[in-house]
Amino acid sequence: MSSAEDTNNWVGKSLPRKEENRLLRGRGKFADDIKLRAMLYLRFVRSPYAHARIVSLDTSAAEVLPGVACVLTGAEIAKTTQPFIEIGPDPFAKIKDYPLAVSKVRYQGEPVAAVVAESPAEADDAAELVQSEYEALDPVVDAEKALEDKSLLHEDVGTNRVWNGVFEYGDVEGAFKEAAYVVNIDRLHFHRFSSTPLENNVVIAQWNPKDERIYYQCNNSFPSFAIQFLAAHLGVHIDRIRVETSDIGGSFGIKITSYPQMAVCALASKKAGGRPVKWVETRSEHITSSAHGNERTFRDTRVALDKNGVITALVSRHIDDCGAYPRYEPLGCVIWSQVFPGVYRFKNARIDFSQAVTNKCPVGPNRGYSRMQHLWFLERIVDICAHKIGIAADEMRLRNYILPEEFPYTTPNGCVYDSGNYPKMLQVAKSLFGWDDWKIKQAAARKEGRLIGIGIGTTLDSGTNNFGQSQIVNPFLPYSGNSQGANCKLDIYGEVVLAVGSCPQGQGHETTAAQVVADVLNVHPDLITVRTGFDTERNVHTGFSGTYASQFAVSGLSAVHGAAQKLKSEIKRLAAFALNTKEDDLEFGSGAQGPEIRAKSSGKSINYWGLSNLVNANSASLPSDLYEITLNCRYVWRAPFKVPDTKKKYGSLTLTYASQLHVAVVEVERDTFIPRILDYVAVDDCGTVINPSIVEGQVYGATAHGIGAAVMENCVYDAVGNMLTSTFSDYTPITAMNMPKVKYGHIETPSPHSYSGAKGMGEGGAAPIHTISAALQDALFANDIIIEDSFNNADSLFRAMAAKEIRHVVSIEKRI
Amino acid sequence: MAIKFGGEFEIKRTPEDVYDFLTDPNRFAPLLPDFQGMTQQDQTHFTVKVNVGISYIKGAADMKMELSQAERPKRAQYKGQGSAAGGKVAMTAGFDLVPAGSGTKVVWQGEAQVFGALASVAGGLLEPLGKKNVQKLIDGLQTALS
Repeated sequence: MSSAEDTNNWVGKSLPRKEENRLLRGRGKFADDIKLRAMLYLRFVRSPYAHARIVSLDTSAAEVLPGVACVLTGAEIAKTTQPFIEIGPDPFAKIKDYPLAVSKVRYQGEPVAAVVAESPAEADDAAELVQSEYEALDPVVDAEKALEDKSLLHEDVGTNRVWNGVFEYGDVEGAFKEAAYVVNIDRLHFHRFSSTPLENNVVIAQWNPKDERIYYQCNNSFPSFAIQFLAAHLGVHIDRIRVETSDIGGSFGIKITSYPQMAVCALASKKAGGRPVKWVETRSEHITSSAHGNERTFRDTRVALDKNGVITALVSRHIDDCGAYPRYEPLGCVIWSQVFPGVYRFKNARIDFSQAVTNKCPVGPNRGYSRMQHLWFLERIVDICAHKIGIAADEMRLRNYILPEEFPYTTPNGCVYDSGNYPKMLQVAKSLFGWDDWKIKQAAARKEGRLIGIGIGTTLDSGTNNFGQSQIVNPFLPYSGNSQGANCKLDIYGEVVLAVGSCPQGQGHETTAAQVVADVLNVHPDLITVRTGFDTERNVHTGFSGTYASQFAVSGLSAVHGAAQKLKSEIKRLAAFALNTKEDDLEFGSGAQGPEIRAKSSGKSINYWGLSNLVNANSASLPSDLYEITLNCRYVWRAPFKVPDTKKKYGSLTLTYASQLHVAVVEVERDTFIPRILDYVAVDDCGTVINPSIVEGQVYGATAHGIGAAVMENCVYDAVGNMLTSTFSDYTPITAMNMPKVKYGHIETPSPHSYSGAKGMGEGGAAPIHTISAALQDALFANDIIIEDSFNNADSLFRAMAAKEIRHVVSIEKRI
Repeated sequence: MAIKFGGEFEIKRTPEDVYDFLTDPNRFAPLLPDFQGMTQQDQTHFTVKVNVGISYIKGAADMKMELSQAERPKRAQYKGQGSAAGGKVAMTAGFDLVPAGSGTKVVWQGEAQVFGALASVAGGLLEPLGKKNVQKLIDGLQTALS
């Protein structure tokens, strides 16, 4: 199917979102809006302890409370279900992960029982009557300490180390021998934070006792992944599980791992005789117990540089904290390597990567998943080295960036960066920012004793995974490549109806998909009806369907484009018959009766209703050689990947690489230590832009998310595993009130790896975290302070600046 | 969340008198702040019901107490644990008795661990509140023994 036939009128336009009409009028349908007859309500009883043995769990008082339908415990579930599938290899494959704790709790907030009642209030009251007794065990809240295995979370496994692997490429030792400078960094730390979608997790499950089918209405954001876990856990055939999503109020990846709660709701429905069971997560439950982003510690980093400050080699030891249960992990142990060198050219590197379980909330693939930690680490290295050697931050980057003429660029671990122009992004950002003016203002402010820093963060948003990388963490996993499905049809009345396998949470899929189809069929996007939201019974999805990992613009829209082209091809054959002409005599357009096909030679036309009628309702005149035409075209797009070399950890792991470059001016107030953003620029390159206003909105969203993570949002645990930031009062998510004015710019380097030149985007590579850390480093380097942590609020800056002794975490060896 | 406390005071009673007071649940337990009632299982085990309240988190807590060290007239130590307002509390409180002239120097120390929603939601208030309540207990003890 050639794209040459596409008219390309709509792709690239800032078409207002089709979704707005529904959502802004309050007419969206979210999972909590759904009310079913005889519906019951579920409430979890959760562990107050981070690590404890369950001595007793007495549910008798709850069970007899009026209005209570049933109570479930982990012990009961363990008798009738299988533990969830583990992605990791032995010994961690031995872990027994059930949706309710069976004999032991491993994080504060872990559910131990579920109470199901006629009303939410009755469920709440009954949950308080569940009596539990625990024997506290030593908690482990630090991943490095967890690796000492003094207190085991999962005794059957025998270790807290989930995974370990060494990623080594090039001639590391040779590069260090020849280095002009070697910079040593003792420890860097990427903090734990999460996302705060407007809508928390919601599950409605109904286990129909008549046909043993389970029907979910929920807001899980990767349902095709969830049903694979649920089917094996519940012991039902996967085709008996229907998952339907509707409008979703944000996910940021966190809702991918709601399958344990989905399992409990289904089992509760079964126990309650098939009545639907609804669970609506509270905000505190979401913060303490849904999923967090990965926390990561970077140890013993050594950086080799030549005399010009060009990085030639890197050695480091990384320890990732995945919380109490791996669940989506240890995929994060390889996903970071999609961006192994970041935007830089170094070829020699050795990274020893480990992941540990701790007595904290399990992690999930949070926006920028696994890559942002690594990209932050690389940006810290670049800035620390620049400061130590005495090279300006912008110049340091220009000396190390992969150059535009080097694309497509193969990284040391075999990933292929499709396109990019990082120096140009820096140039655009500087221009928007007024770089030279700010440098003058900064120098003047410093003379007044003010602490002002200018920081640059260059980052990547890798999109459309090769799931073959999962075989690097576990060679026995049966996943590789990537695919997405779409279905484009003319319904009986000739309406163009498109169904996609994604479940958008604000990304505007309805609009961008309509733009693509509109171009193929040369009709207005308003005439395309897009069925968004996931539904297994639409038969559109593949094993990778969902919305995650910055891939819709490539995988989703490629599937949409393929399905539309397939439909177009069928329409042409049918119209050629109907209009008694040849296919190359036909043109697509709209007439008085809506979308139609015209014969250029005769001027005759047939509209879509007429065409559909020939196939669906008035088929007697259709010749048999056209019987294969259905006008109902499913297309599965597959990414052109190969399985990576799992031993060498080498291969193409992602299809597209969007990039972002942010610049910020940050001042640390002398009296309050509050970091204030004085100016902010975000430049984005996601290849060919499908809808500029949607892309711009995504950039603002990712920027807000990153700024919140950099200075406001932190999951704080005390020494015994109590989470101390379990409400918005303490977690302090960013709001519009905290957002600086963001100057936005973009460049386009079309991807050769997608049909349209578009690249997946939306995660933003957590650019603000890198950028603010860099600006703070610039502000405080003269005070001998190294920014060691990705989270820097007034309190942490006060502690760093008021410390009696400067921590010397960085040293430099000069060999010239 | 761990709250540590400790201190000392002198009292004009013999170590034996002080020890006997401290190890008698019927006399010691009512000194606990917001004491509501007690049931005694045996000489060394008893359960006290106390009111707890931190801001809008209010409720009653049953604390299972055990006299875990009893060395007359030198040392007494209690261990306890209980549930309160969505959380769990575990505590130890020890008293070392040192003769001081005709009286006794009481050296007291302890630690309370708070787990769960109570610590998560009210964490910042717990330490001052805990210290205030411990001081109430010590003040009550001094009054009762004087």
